[in-house]
Amino acid sequence: MADYLLKKAAQLIPTILGVVTLVFFAIRLIPGDSTSYMAGDNLSGEAVDALRERMGLDVPVWQQYLDYLLGILKFDFGTTMVSGLPIGQLIMEALPVTFMIAFLTVLIACLIAVTLGTIAAFSAHKGKKLIDQVLTWIAMLVDLMPSFWMALLMMLVFTLSLGWLPASGPIDFSDPVGLLQRIALPLIVLSLGQIATIARITRTSVLEVLNEDYIRTARAFGTPQLLVVFRHALKNAAMPIITVAGLGFGNLLNGTVITEFIFSIPGIGTLLIGGINSRDYSLVQSVILVYSFLFILVNMMTDLIYKYFDPRVKF
Amino acid sequence: MQNGMDGSITTSKGISLPRPKLRALQKILRNRQGLVAVLILLPMIAFAFLAPVLPLQDPLKSNITASLQPPSTDNLFGTDKLGRDIFSRTVSGMQTSMMVGIIVATITLCGGLLIGSVSGFFGGRMDRFIMGIVDIFLSFPSLLLAIGMVAIFGAGMLPVIIAISIADLPRAIRLQRSLVLSVKSGAFIDAARMVSAPTHWLLFRHIIPNTLAPMLVAASITAANAILTEASLSFLGLGITPPEPSLGNIIREGQMYLQEAWWISTLPGLVIFAIAISLHLLSDGIREVLDPRSKR
Repeated sequence: MADYLLKKAAQLIPTILGVVTLVFFAIRLIPGDSTSYMAGDNLSGEAVDALRERMGLDVPVWQQYLDYLLGILKFDFGTTMVSGLPIGQLIMEALPVTFMIAFLTVLIACLIAVTLGTIAAFSAHKGKKLIDQVLTWIAMLVDLMPSFWMALLMMLVFTLSLGWLPASGPIDFSDPVGLLQRIALPLIVLSLGQIATIARITRTSVLEVLNEDYIRTARAFGTPQLLVVFRHALKNAAMPIITVAGLGFGNLLNGTVITEFIFSIPGIGTLLIGGINSRDYSLVQSVILVYSFLFILVNMMTDLIYKYFDPRVKF
Repeated sequence: MQNGMDGSITTSKGISLPRPKLRALQKILRNRQGLVAVLILLPMIAFAFLAPVLPLQDPLKSNITASLQPPSTDNLFGTDKLGRDIFSRTVSGMQTSMMVGIIVATITLCGGLLIGSVSGFFGGRMDRFIMGIVDIFLSFPSLLLAIGMVAIFGAGMLPVIIAISIADLPRAIRLQRSLVLSVKSGAFIDAARMVSAPTHWLLFRHIIPNTLAPMLVAASITAANAILTEASLSFLGLGITPPEPSLGNIIREGQMYLQEAWWISTLPGLVIFAIAISLHLLSDGIREVLDPRSKR
């Protein structure tokens, strides 16, 4: 296991280095350096020079690059161009919010999707085509809804018409009930975006397992239905489900940016959009890097879980 | 001889090439999902591109006296705060969406075919280099990659198309590469090599035609995703900027008036939804027609 982990990490290092390099140099493709945006036309040449020096832009590019790399290792992304606040700290404040929402979404989506997928598979297996087809169609439709549109529809119904759930307000971790109400709508929107793919793969893999001999044997021995579902069918169909849930994480991150924006949740997505709107490129590049790191990390974890639970894979 | 895999596209005789293609088109229309998709898509495309000659209101012309009017026979989708007709703005936005979808799908299809084939067919150092770069791009969630690039290139139609194409291309390259790798190991490739077929012959006559079906399926999904991504970017205020209408920025503008004027945001969203559904049905249709294994 440890060997495998090391090997995997070693494979990832060039990719991570590539990601950092890409982000570092992409930002420098913008015509003029950051100071021209900050200073505008009002500052004198000397003042701009002072600014460049303060921001470390007066040294050669390769040295800036090395400084940047070393900074990232210490989670030090420098300071924002506009407000001068340390970026690392801003991200650390916003990250738990995004993290909580992403985690809860995965949890809710998996619970609902696996249930629906299993129901669809059992219906299909027993020849109840209608239930299966209706579920499959609903999954497809929900999957294709633009998330921001769905969010606005939810807001229209649950906030503006019914007044059940708030769509804005502070995020307060010390008030769990209020917090849950506050993030209920974003969670619904994000989970609906994830449910379809997971439900589909659950249906396919459970259906496949149901045709296996050992399920028939278990049934022949009089195993109760629920036990067949949990111990035999789902356990053996778990691998593809985990993989697809992991692969869906990229989509989930995409979704968090949009939902955070709509429901004004102070996560890293909101930080990113704010950064772009105020042309704070150092903030933008850091947040995008963090997203990418999260994505790489989750992909690696999915891979590890897969390898860990699959008895055929030897380390 | 590759008929067994994929009869509708390639035959070993050059002369019979056009016929199977026509048959494929016929089959798509006869396929229920394909037919539904074409029936939704074609009028939409026609409508979007014929908009300038149709008797529609000017999407940019404001009329303060008709501010926030609900849907009626005059304004099918109602009007916005400035009294602009949402229906003609939606049609104009549809045109933008269609352009983005078609151009991005074409770029990723061609780029994927080209780069993926080179990578998969020749292998070696070239392959490792290309895949290394692809892996780097695939380490970003796709919308975030597009957001990052729009932040660099600026807002507008061209930057958005470039950004979405770059974000989608790596997936196409990877798919084409894996397809080439599996086709390359086929016995008929060995046979063609035996009679010393030149490389370009192998690539263009045997390998690429056999990868085309899954790539076309992927391309229609790419088109749907590109349309959704453009709408998302514009919704976030990073894509197509007002006053030029795009489905995303109409919805964004409507968010402020959600309570008084629900129609501004909801109706254009329904159009995006319809486009996405029909493109997915189309991809299912293409898959069923071109892949003999999925016949019912």
